[in-house]
Amino acid sequence: MKSTRRDLFKFTGGAAVGALLSPAPWRLVTDTALWSETWPGVPRPATGEIGAKYTNCSMCPAGCAVRARTVNGQPVALMGVAEHPFSHGVLCPFGLAGHHLPYHPARLKQGPVAEAKAAAMEALAKCGKGERAAVLDLRPGRTASWTYRRALAQWTDAAYLAPPRTLGGVVAVNLAAAKIVLSFGAPVLDGWGTLGNAIAARDGFRLIQAETVESRTAVLADVWLPIRPGSEVALARAIAGLLRKEDNSSLQAAASQTGLREEQIVEVARELAANRPALVLDSQERSEILALNQLTGSLGRAIVTRRETPVPDSWKKAAAETELDAVADRSIRLLLIDESVPGAYVPWSAIERKLVADNPVVVAFAWSRGGYGRHARFVLPTAVYPEGVDDIPPAVDSPLAMFRLSNALVPAPAGVVNPAEFVAGLAGISASDALRERSDAIAKTGRGTLFTYADAKSARAKDVKPDDFWKALNQGACWMDDPPPRTEIPKLASRRATAPAAADDLPFAVVMADAYALPCSPILSKVYQESNLRLAANRAALHPSAAGDCGVKDGCRAMIETRSGKLEVLVTLDAAVPKGVVQLAAAASTLELFASSARAKVVRI
Amino acid sequence: MIGPNKNIRAARYGMTIDVDRCSGCGACMVACAVENNVPPANPKATDRTGLTWIRVYKIDNGLPYPETRSAFVPVLCQHCGNETPCVHVCPQQAVEVDPATGVVGEMPQRCLGCRYCVAACPYHARYFNWWDPKWPAGMEKTLNPDVTPRMRGVVEKCNFCHGRWHAAKQQAAADGKPDTEPVEYTPACAEACPTKAIRFGDLNDPASEPAQAAKNGESFRLLEKLDTGSKIYYRSKREWVRQIANAPHPAASGKESFHG
Repeated sequence: MKSTRRDLFKFTGGAAVGALLSPAPWRLVTDTALWSETWPGVPRPATGEIGAKYTNCSMCPAGCAVRARTVNGQPVALMGVAEHPFSHGVLCPFGLAGHHLPYHPARLKQGPVAEAKAAAMEALAKCGKGERAAVLDLRPGRTASWTYRRALAQWTDAAYLAPPRTLGGVVAVNLAAAKIVLSFGAPVLDGWGTLGNAIAARDGFRLIQAETVESRTAVLADVWLPIRPGSEVALARAIAGLLRKEDNSSLQAAASQTGLREEQIVEVARELAANRPALVLDSQERSEILALNQLTGSLGRAIVTRRETPVPDSWKKAAAETELDAVADRSIRLLLIDESVPGAYVPWSAIERKLVADNPVVVAFAWSRGGYGRHARFVLPTAVYPEGVDDIPPAVDSPLAMFRLSNALVPAPAGVVNPAEFVAGLAGISASDALRERSDAIAKTGRGTLFTYADAKSARAKDVKPDDFWKALNQGACWMDDPPPRTEIPKLASRRATAPAAADDLPFAVVMADAYALPCSPILSKVYQESNLRLAANRAALHPSAAGDCGVKDGCRAMIETRSGKLEVLVTLDAAVPKGVVQLAAAASTLELFASSARAKVVRI
Repeated sequence: MIGPNKNIRAARYGMTIDVDRCSGCGACMVACAVENNVPPANPKATDRTGLTWIRVYKIDNGLPYPETRSAFVPVLCQHCGNETPCVHVCPQQAVEVDPATGVVGEMPQRCLGCRYCVAACPYHARYFNWWDPKWPAGMEKTLNPDVTPRMRGVVEKCNFCHGRWHAAKQQAAADGKPDTEPVEYTPACAEACPTKAIRFGDLNDPASEPAQAAKNGESFRLLEKLDTGSKIYYRSKREWVRQIANAPHPAASGKESFHG
């Protein structure tokens, strides 16, 4: 048989068509996808020995117990400790991704430590008559706070400053004792206290939430009272009048101010009177609102006096806590701000007027430049959770004193500073063993119970040796005090109301969405950017028709303007926000802008 | 993936989600991303192009303020057991229903990125990788070793934490349990849910919480009229929440709105 050129072409063509009809090319396509799976750009997770480490989350004052799943000692996932008697195995979304914080792109790792120290020493030496050094501690009650107070006692007229608070120090809340909780905007089920404790206690109390925009807590509340912004105190006064059985003169005015019906206010007062103790909370802890607790049987039952976590006797000559308002204007020459752990935010405008006019030295200890670092002369980097070792004071909803450590699960970078040791160094005192000294002081009292996380066991503190007590705390444990032998009726501090001035000529009332935004993992983009489930710091929520009136649309850029400044935002439309209200996330930038003004206008860019 | 085998007692894993207990905190979304190595958002990503295997939507009753009331509805792959739409449209056989577990599995190695499945899914529970997966420097150390990150150009979705199921199978084998029996485990979202609104279990086990919830009169499934055999049962005492799951045509009511 003779093969021709035509046969060759036919064979080649037939082979090509046959190959196309066979699985081979399709398999090749699949395999191409397989190869691309191992592109250099796709990271390969490290493998190794799986283990567990225990700590307490220090990202907010709740201090929930944490179990970290580790690979070769590196945490790869965090979860709660289910048997924990107070946090009940619950972590919030921020806490679930806390192990990412050391790798946050905004993280500071180096800072001018020597220059800051020299400038601080010089400022201390230059302090004239009526001038002082001060420390602003955003989370008072820690061992580091005691170090600041001990250091400040070495200097004349020095001031230890903490954010003003009525609840959370020696006065605590016992949610389990409350039959009704009336909350004026306090996010009871979304970050106000310890999330696990609030959820565990939830079935035991009826929740009435009074606030303008239906928050996460309001969604789960038994009753949501949609009140007009700024009318909280009027509502509290009307309820107080009804509870005292005084004349109902304020009722009509309150109904008019709040937008509620008179019957709704009367019904709330009736429920509070019939279900004692009824706990009243306020997101801003305004005295007039918290004073309702005196009429609802809360004091001594749902609001209790908490014993202080023991400290060594030698520490007790420390400087007292002072509120910023009590410090004379233009009197602080050296200000050291510890924002290494998040806490309540004090607007910079309130701080700035306390600084001397000529060349004050402000040193911020921070993990990023996002907070006070924008205003400070020096920003010194600190360890972040879970790198640093720090204690966490008891949360606002813990009726018993507590002591627990946030342990270092990963090593901190070489350039970070321990703020307490920095300040102690300036004052010439030692603070390196302060945590151990306090642990020994607690163990010495023999009070309370030590709960260890790895084995979920409790032991009486008096049965644990101080060395073992300290070792257990470092491996994940919590000391809880015994209930006090007698009930002391707490006194609620009376504070001057600092409501921002309302400029009525601006069309929108400003309402804050969340508590002061925590530092968070980049993975929180799932809730802030990839779903808009939570309002991001660069967003503002408006009612669709209000947005239409302003000429803005969903996703477009706009400027929020107040009498004191302006802020660029992206617009989010939300029918749950009433007309005439703009809702913003409570971040440092928004809190500063709206500290002096509660109204704004929205301008399309 | 295990093929049909009459000796295996097949599980039918499913969930019950109590909408009345969901606070919309987002813990499930974060726990899912951490467990399954879902990367943080690209700076250009939006709520339409992001990657969230489980996504919490905020819904409202459509009434004007102050009568408006909201609820949060977590939506993930519904693991359809009947004529699974994404399986039918995939030209690469990259999607399969595991007969041993009932889980709808996605194999990114086979995926060509045509996104037919994204279009076919009536629940919008499938997500496309528009960008290379990137973590901030050093954060790759925190990746879960049980899950391989996916590349750009493929579709991904919830698989009821396949890595956890696999670990549970290994543990069962180590404990000497027969390989043919279903294993008990908990996906990351159910474990992380602070209010325990999300419960997971075997729908074939009448004692499991999802199986019990499925019989509850307040239970419903999303778009039940499509008869996809969804294995996610929602629950709410509120009539308007149950109604919204049927997705009446927007023109018919002009009320319902979704955010999140």
